[in-house]
Formats: sequence, C-alpha cells, structure tokens
Amino acid sequence: MGDLLLAIDTATSRAVLAVGSLADGTPRAMDAWPGGHAHAETILPRLATLLSTSGVRLDVIGGFVVGVGPGGFTGLRVGLATAKTLAHGLGRPIVGIGTAEGLAAAVGLHGPATVILPAGPRDRYLVPLGVGAAGPRLLAPAALEAWLADPANDRSSLVAVDLDDPAIPDEARRRGASALDGLAPAMLGLGAAALAGGRADDVAALVPAYVTLPRGIAPWQGGVAWSPDLR
Amino acid sequence: MARPDTGPAPASEPELRVLAIESSCDETAVAVVEGGRAIAASVVASQTPLHAPTGGIVPEVAARAHLRWMLPVLDEALVRARLSSPADVDAIAVTNGPGLAGSLLVGLSMAKTLAFLHDRPLVAVNHLEGHIHAAWLHTSGETRPTPAFPAVALVVSGGHTLLVEMQGPLEYRLLGRTVDDAAGEAFDKVGRMLGLPYPGGPAIQRAAAAWATDGHPGAGDRAPRDEPSALPRAWLGDTLDFSFSGLKTAVRRRLFEACGGTADDGVAIPADLVGDIATAFQASVVDVLATKTALATERIEARSMIIGGGVAANVSLRAAMAERAAALGVDLVIPAPSLCTDNAAMIGAAGSQRFLAGERAGLDLGASPSLRLAVAR
Ligand SMILES: [Zn+2]
Repeated sequence: MGDLLLAIDTATSRAVLAVGSLADGTPRAMDAWPGGHAHAETILPRLATLLSTSGVRLDVIGGFVVGVGPGGFTGLRVGLATAKTLAHGLGRPIVGIGTAEGLAAAVGLHGPATVILPAGPRDRYLVPLGVGAAGPRLLAPAALEAWLADPANDRSSLVAVDLDDPAIPDEARRRGASALDGLAPAMLGLGAAALAGGRADDVAALVPAYVTLPRGIAPWQGGVAWSPDLR
Repeated sequence: MARPDTGPAPASEPELRVLAIESSCDETAVAVVEGGRAIAASVVASQTPLHAPTGGIVPEVAARAHLRWMLPVLDEALVRARLSSPADVDAIAVTNGPGLAGSLLVGLSMAKTLAFLHDRPLVAVNHLEGHIHAAWLHTSGETRPTPAFPAVALVVSGGHTLLVEMQGPLEYRLLGRTVDDAAGEAFDKVGRMLGLPYPGGPAIQRAAAAWATDGHPGAGDRAPRDEPSALPRAWLGDTLDFSFSGLKTAVRRRLFEACGGTADDGVAIPADLVGDIATAFQASVVDVLATKTALATERIEARSMIIGGGVAANVSLRAAMAERAAALGVDLVIPAPSLCTDNAAMIGAAGSQRFLAGERAGLDLGASPSLRLAVAR
C-alpha cells in the first residue's frame, strides 16, 4: 500500500494536482495551471510530469481526493473521470470533497463560511458551509446583490473565487485569491483527514455536486438500460 | 484513372486485442474487439430511459450519467471478455468526436487515464467511421460477409445523415449529407408530434407495423390500409444531399388540418391517423435514403453498400436497401440492429484499423464535438 495521497481539483479557474502524505496531507509536490476549457488536453501530461519530476511512482499512491465542485462543468467532468479511473485502476480509496470546502479551508475557515463561485458567465454558486448549512444555491445576478445587501448575511467569512463583480466586497475577493493559492494543500489536508477517518466513497457513484438541473428536469436516481450480452 | 478491381482489405492481426470506449452521446459503452472484427465483449449502458421524460437528450444529464456508469460498464466488459485488467489489451481506442462535448470528455478522460495507467497505446476514432466499421464486426464463431471496396457507406442516426465513398478501410470521401435535420432527429420530432414515446425511430416503426397488420378502425373516408397517404420527398435535384425538415413540416400541416394541432401541443391524435402518418413518414424517409444510396453506388461504381447508425436498425430501411442492392448486383452489409445503435465494438473495429495503420494519439488528445469524417473533393 502506498503512503502518498494524490489530490485533483478542476472546479475553479485553476486546475490543481498535488501529491502529499496520506497520513496528514503534508504536501510533497504540487502543480497548478489555468484550466481554461482544456483540462482534457492538459491534466494527464501535467500529472505525468509532476510524478516524474517528484520521483513518485503511481503505485505508491495510496489514496485519492478529488474536488467535486460546484464549479465549471468541463473541468469537473475531466477531473472526476480521471481521478475515478486512477483510483479504480489502482484499487485505492477515493474521497470526493466539495471544492468550496477546500477553498474555505485554504484560508483557515473550517466552520461557518460562504463561498461564491462563477456558474457560467452571469450566475453564481453560493455555497454556505458549516454544521447544518443549507446546500449550494444558484443565484442570478440580482439575487446575489440582494444576498450581499442583506445585513443578516455574514460577510466576514465570505470567500469570492474567480469573481470581479463590483457588488462583492474587496476583502472577499482577496480571500478568494488566497483560497485559490492554498487549494492544493487544503484538499490534501481534507482528503487525508477523511481517509484517516475511515471514509471511502463509492468510486463508481462519485459524480460532481449538483446544484441545479436544466429547467424541467427532475433529479434522477434510476439506472440505465444495460445491453444484452453481445459476446 | 483505372480503378483497381478490388480495394485494399482491412488489415488483420489475429492476436490484436483492442479495448474501446464510446461516450459521444447518450450511451456509455465499452467493448473488447479481437483480430479487428471479433466482439469479445460489448457492453452498452443506455440512458434512453433517463431522457425519455424530456423527449430528448439533456447534455448535462448525459455527461453526469456517463460519469456514473463508466466504471461499471468497463468492469462488465472486462469480465465478459475474461480479462483481468485493461493492461491485457494491445491498444485503447476512444471516440474523440463528433458528439456532445461533455459526454465525449468523460469517455476520453477514462480512455486516456487507462492508457496512462497501463502504458498502452491510445487510438482516436471518429464516431461516424465507427458506425461504418460496425459492418466488419462479428460475434465469436459467427461468419459475416466482408464489404468489398469501393464501397458506399450511409451513416444515418439521430445526429447524422451522410453518404461516404470508401476506396479502402480508412479512406473516406463525403458524397452527400443532410442540409438540415438528421433522419433520426426527424423520427424523434415526428414521433413527438404523433404523441409516440421517445425515441421516435422504434416507436414510428411499431406504429407503422401495427397500422399495416391491425387495420385502422374509424379510418372513415381516409385512405385504405394498403395505401397510406403520401408525404413529400425532398430530392434536392440530383445531389446526394438530404433534407428532412420539409417532411416534418408536412406532417405538422397534416396534423393541424386533421386535428387542429399536434401531440406536442397537447392534442390527442387518433390512433388510425398516427398509424397512417407513421407509415407515410417512414416510407418517405426510407425512399429518399435508399434511392440516394443506390444512386451513389451507381455513380462511384461501388461493389458494396454499407449502412450504419441507429436508423439502420429500421426494418423497413433494411428491406428497401436489400432490394436496391439486389437490383444493382452489389453486396449489402448492415450490422445487427444492436450494432447499428451506438456501441463501443464499432469503435474497436475502426480503432483496430487505425492502430494497425500506425496511428497513435497522445495524452493531450481533446474532444472534437464537430469532428468531420471526410470532406467533399
Ligand atoms: Zn452514433
């Protein structure tokens, strides 16, 4: 069994790969780059380089942590498909961690906090964190402005990532920039803690966090129709 | 230039074993193909039940379902092929386009990660050539005719309708394509207008078959059973292009005249009218597809006709093509219906050819949602 943990997060503007201690998440090697819409083209070449330059062989990876968003669809699909296939192929445990949770942890927020992320060009994901927090929401620009203007909402633990909306306080944007810088070690830490706590997700069932579905679509729990044996 | 009597046969390497992955639309599929043609395993997880409530594919839902089912489908294919690991194959073939970007990315990422993990060569396959190469597939122990070159290939599905000339297994020249809807798309849309379940192709075929055999009570002064009402055919002159949007409009007009609306608008369409229109619509589509394919076969002096894609599962199209092929004295090769709809075995067949031709893709291979198979010359 390997003693290293591999972290992948592709939900934000910055794709990150990191290798760290499986025991406590201490980083050993990291890579981050602007994902754009080219995650598929870049992730494996960069992983290969990261592993070879840090002298890490795949078979010493003992576990995986992958960011499940919410965030950019293209990145999440590639990140999840890659992480799942690696964990499955190597027979190692994998945990999915909310990217917002990783971003908050990256700026030292382990309790109640709110992370705002882009959801396409105009809408925003609002992700409340902490015990008993409601699930992520998709907000249109006006709804976000209303949320920001509401004094009942705590702005001191607000983390705004990849956003330059004028309505968002500067402090929240600065926190967001720091959060991106610290995302890789934070994911390693959260992943190591989850795995050490005995958590391992069902690798097949692991999918990105759903926030909303296209209009008229109900969340679906059912199976697919399997082909008869064509062997 | 004198045309060779026989074109190059597809390369064959009896020991070659290819793992193939297809996720371009709404089927998550993994297959193992041996010797370029033999299906060792072909597993398809179809999302059709998932998309039925919306009457069409929702890309976000499709990509997520691919992510959910890719590993169980891979495992099932390996078990059926009696392989303990993807490392036991010679190459990994994957569809890199055309298709839905989000869906393509899932299969592509899995294929590339497997190639990386097990240090296997990766081969990129065009989904459309996959549909054509399904004609070479057979199950173990089965023998099937091998299409001779030059060949005319008709790819007809929910997303595509095109005619291609083939002088060899990987030599494609575009002869014609749809200028608007794909034939399968027209089936879906007309199916919805008639109030038939999604997908429209099988539903229209069933409605037409039922109408032909059961008669049509209450038909009144409408056409008798053996003479369905006629719907137009778009010939587009003597080109090899197709158009199905006018046919769709004609169906809509008939429904408005007869019922004041379509099932899309919540109007109940009488069963006999559904059967009549389903029959006439199917006859129109089949007539155009068969006539143009036959015309292409004559023009390039093809020795065989290949039909692939989901609509090639249509019984009436298969029968019409058989008639045309017999009249022209050329071979007709249509895969079994389960290999006409999207599957990974066809990607394995085409991928085997590309692998034997020396083609390799890198780990930087991206998805090409509007990838072309061939351009007109
Ligand atoms: Zn297809």
